[in-house]
Amino acid sequence: MAVDPIERLIPASLRAALARRELLVRRPVAGVRHGVHRSLRPGIGRDFRDYRPYAPGDDPRRLDWRAAARSQRLVVRQTESEEELDLVLVVDGSAAMDYGERGSSAHKWSRAGTVAAALTTLALRQGDRVGFAVGRAGELQTAALEPAARRDRLRALAEIWTTPAAGDCEWEALLDAVAPRLRRRALVVVLSDFLDPGGRGPGLAEDGAPELDRSADESLLRGLTLLRSGGHDVALVQILHRDELEFPWDQQRVIELEDPRGRRPTIEGPGASLREGYLDRLDAHLNWLKRSCERGGLLLAQVVTDEDPAAQVLDLLGRLAGAPTDASMPTGAGRGGAGHEGDAR
Amino acid sequence: MSLLAPLALLGLLGLALPLVAHLLGRERPQKIRFAAVRFVRPREPVVTQRRELRDWPLLLIRLLLLAIFVLVLARPVVGSEAAVAVLAEPHDAIILLDASASMELRVDGRSDRERAAEQLDTLLDALPPGSRVGLAISDPRAPSVTLRELSDGAPQVRAALDGWMRSEDHGPRPGAWSLSEALPRAAALLSDAGTDGQDRPRVIYAIGDPTERGLGSLPELAAGAVTVVPVPTRGQPGAEPPAPPEHVGLRELEWEPAPELDPRAVRIRALIHRYGPGSGEGEGEGDEQLEVAAALEIDKREVARTRVTLEPNGDAAAEFTHTLDGASEGARARVRLLERDDDPLLVDDRRHLWLTATDAVEVLVINGDPSETRANDEIFFLSTALGSGELAEGISLRGLTLDQLEDRLSGKQGDDPLAEVDVLVLANVRALSAELAPRVNARVAEGMGLWITVGDRVSAKEYNARFAEVLPLLMREAVYAGTAPGRTEARSEGVAPVQLSHPIFEGSTADADGDIDLGATRTRRMFLLEPDPRRGADIAAAFTSGAPALVTREYEQGRVALLTTTIDRDWGDLPLRPGFVPLATRTLSWLAGARGHGRGSVVAVGARKTLDRAATYSVTTPSGASVPITPPREGEPAIFEATDFPGHYRATARDSEVERFVVEFDAREADTSAVGLARAQLGDESSGESGTVTIYEPRWRELALILLLLLGVESGARLWFTRRSSGG
Repeated sequence: MAVDPIERLIPASLRAALARRELLVRRPVAGVRHGVHRSLRPGIGRDFRDYRPYAPGDDPRRLDWRAAARSQRLVVRQTESEEELDLVLVVDGSAAMDYGERGSSAHKWSRAGTVAAALTTLALRQGDRVGFAVGRAGELQTAALEPAARRDRLRALAEIWTTPAAGDCEWEALLDAVAPRLRRRALVVVLSDFLDPGGRGPGLAEDGAPELDRSADESLLRGLTLLRSGGHDVALVQILHRDELEFPWDQQRVIELEDPRGRRPTIEGPGASLREGYLDRLDAHLNWLKRSCERGGLLLAQVVTDEDPAAQVLDLLGRLAGAPTDASMPTGAGRGGAGHEGDAR
Repeated sequence: MSLLAPLALLGLLGLALPLVAHLLGRERPQKIRFAAVRFVRPREPVVTQRRELRDWPLLLIRLLLLAIFVLVLARPVVGSEAAVAVLAEPHDAIILLDASASMELRVDGRSDRERAAEQLDTLLDALPPGSRVGLAISDPRAPSVTLRELSDGAPQVRAALDGWMRSEDHGPRPGAWSLSEALPRAAALLSDAGTDGQDRPRVIYAIGDPTERGLGSLPELAAGAVTVVPVPTRGQPGAEPPAPPEHVGLRELEWEPAPELDPRAVRIRALIHRYGPGSGEGEGEGDEQLEVAAALEIDKREVARTRVTLEPNGDAAAEFTHTLDGASEGARARVRLLERDDDPLLVDDRRHLWLTATDAVEVLVINGDPSETRANDEIFFLSTALGSGELAEGISLRGLTLDQLEDRLSGKQGDDPLAEVDVLVLANVRALSAELAPRVNARVAEGMGLWITVGDRVSAKEYNARFAEVLPLLMREAVYAGTAPGRTEARSEGVAPVQLSHPIFEGSTADADGDIDLGATRTRRMFLLEPDPRRGADIAAAFTSGAPALVTREYEQGRVALLTTTIDRDWGDLPLRPGFVPLATRTLSWLAGARGHGRGSVVAVGARKTLDRAATYSVTTPSGASVPITPPREGEPAIFEATDFPGHYRATARDSEVERFVVEFDAREADTSAVGLARAQLGDESSGESGTVTIYEPRWRELALILLLLLGVESGARLWFTRRSSGG
């Protein structure tokens, strides 16, 4: 009997963790420095709606101390949403996302689905509207782009994940398709690995070639920054596999690295020698991405596929709500986290 | 150049194998679809996606290796100079190999025997599958291989031939059967094997040289149920035979005493023959005279040398004279040609002789009844008989009267008269005096022959007293025919057929039996003898009445014969009968044989030498080895069979009797002039089933050598490439 595609996307632990969560969006003002400029987030009302027990990760400022005193337990005050939130998911469906053992949770594509499904579930539960667009195999799947609050949005989303990621994702066309549909203030969540959004030819020439050509990356970020400046909240969820962070092929064995998107030439050579410099260059790229996002006011959350999806989603929710946390930083690439703090100072 | 198995060339398709292996056999890299490939810097020159041949020199070597291997399998051959018809259908084949001495002839640096071995090899390869094969070699001593399936038989034939060619003491020798003599052996191999339930043609492939005694000796081809296919070592059947190389050999060697020079002088005469050059070839060159040196060696020491000039295909006699020194034992003489190291046939460049000074049989006849009338004179009949006999040359006859003998024996006059005497004939002599008779007996014991013939002057009583030691049987009395008790009334008696088993008549054939027919003899008077089995006397001939006529006995080293009638006409007409001549000569030579054979005899290589006596001998061969010989059965003469090499042989019996003989190679073998051979007609032409196959000389062995070499190069190259790639 086939598993319900929704069930498959959201594991039981995540479902339980999402039970009483809500999707709050607070505009991050200056990167991760929290709490200084607390924005008025439209769509989340000020009117009291209900209490609920405190769960770790809730903003302590929302504790209702008087109610807590009455009931002898920590309660959080929930307020009525004043305005509906448009959640727009922009998904990278290129073959680059088809990495990891298929069907396992460490698969980049399925992890992206998990994150997307979790956000959609939360949004729909609180009555927000959800739309999404996928760039896959050189095509755009924009049938569900128009935000709607219907329950079938989740099912439509699950349908997207029944077919594997393939081909290339045309970012420019994708953003061009998404931008006009955003009528009011929306939360745009972009799911991708942001490793190689475009560009052809060898990424690095053998010798003496200029450093990484970042034109495609910059163009993507520029598009997203434009959305941001259009008044939308933009969150970049970077889905990475542990292999991409650590490059585990460190033997003399000859390996052949093939670009899944088919844009880059195949590289062949002993693993150990190919690994040389890779980590540094990757690290530099991730740092550049982080700085660019900070500069553009974009939220960047990193999701490594071998970690607990529940913690990652909760962390993402916190980040969206403006909470400062490092939980999403990759543990394997410790330097990323450290760099983050270092940049802040 | 052609291929025996052209289908094997399909194996060249296998050349694709190394190509594929080089394309696919590279280390297959793990293929990873990696999203972050842009951060990876390629190390080596950018490996493109195009497949590339690596290590192309290695690939070339491997391709060559495989191609040569396929070529070897295809068995390339070049047509041989000698083509032979091989029956195309499965058949029973016996390969008959000529082992005669003429196969030693070297042409173009290789002997005919080596050629024959190669042809046998290729013949085996050319035999159609399903055939049976066997091997016969024209030497009684050589191995043979019975008919068996080709897959089993071919290796056996090769092994047998190889073993025979390499054998030191059982290998080829310069004397063997001619091919025709060996043909029955091959035919027996064919018939022994039976037909195996299948009616296969039976073929004898005779490999030999195209000479008179080689392939030329074979009977007409395709006679009877067995086809004989000649496979000449040189030339082709049906074609003009190639001229054999010119060579020089000793054809004959003989000697005679030269008493006119010295009592111990001998004259040795060698006949040297120049074989070739071929009649039709190179007239200018062929007409030249050839000077050849020959040397006489006595006991391995050169004593004389001479030069002769030879016309093409001509004879020249080289004559040596030599005076023997003291040794009367017999000297080993050898004549050999000098400066002929490049002679194509070396085996006939030397011949051997035993020389003895006292070779002639000295016969001393004591005439007891000299008579003016020849019909009554013993010496007359005896000398006449010996003069016409074949042994005449070797027998010198002297006559003495009894008085003269007695005078000389008693030392009144001259030396011992019996010293040089081989046979003493006492013809109708009254018995010697009691003092002198033991002297005669002693000489007999030393090896002298004694022939006693009787007559009126013989007194049985005196003879019995004086010669009792040596007499074959004691004499009783002289009787007249028909007067003996219980005998016939006839006034005379004939002589019954002689005992052919007696040593005197040994070697006689039925014809000789006719020669010694004395049945018509009329003897009026004869001595009767006392039967005495202890004396070990043999009766060689008897009268028709049964009374012994000729009785012999071996006494110590001497031999004694007693004729119980006269050898003149006193008592009968025996000397008048034609049978008397062989009787007298054979008796004399048997008696003389006791002394040992001075001249010795010549035995062909490989033939059997029957020694004189039924005793254990030790034979000294030319190489110095000593071979003990025992008679095959009690009482039969010993037989020496290991006559493998030409040279001097010396057989010594236990009682120190010496017998000498020379083993010599058959001079007819030296005649290597080629004879034309008819091409074999194989099979029935109308059937179309049979064909001919040319015998090819294989070339794949050389290729196999190259193959091995390349294998080595390949290993080296692979090692080098491995080192280089890992080092880089």
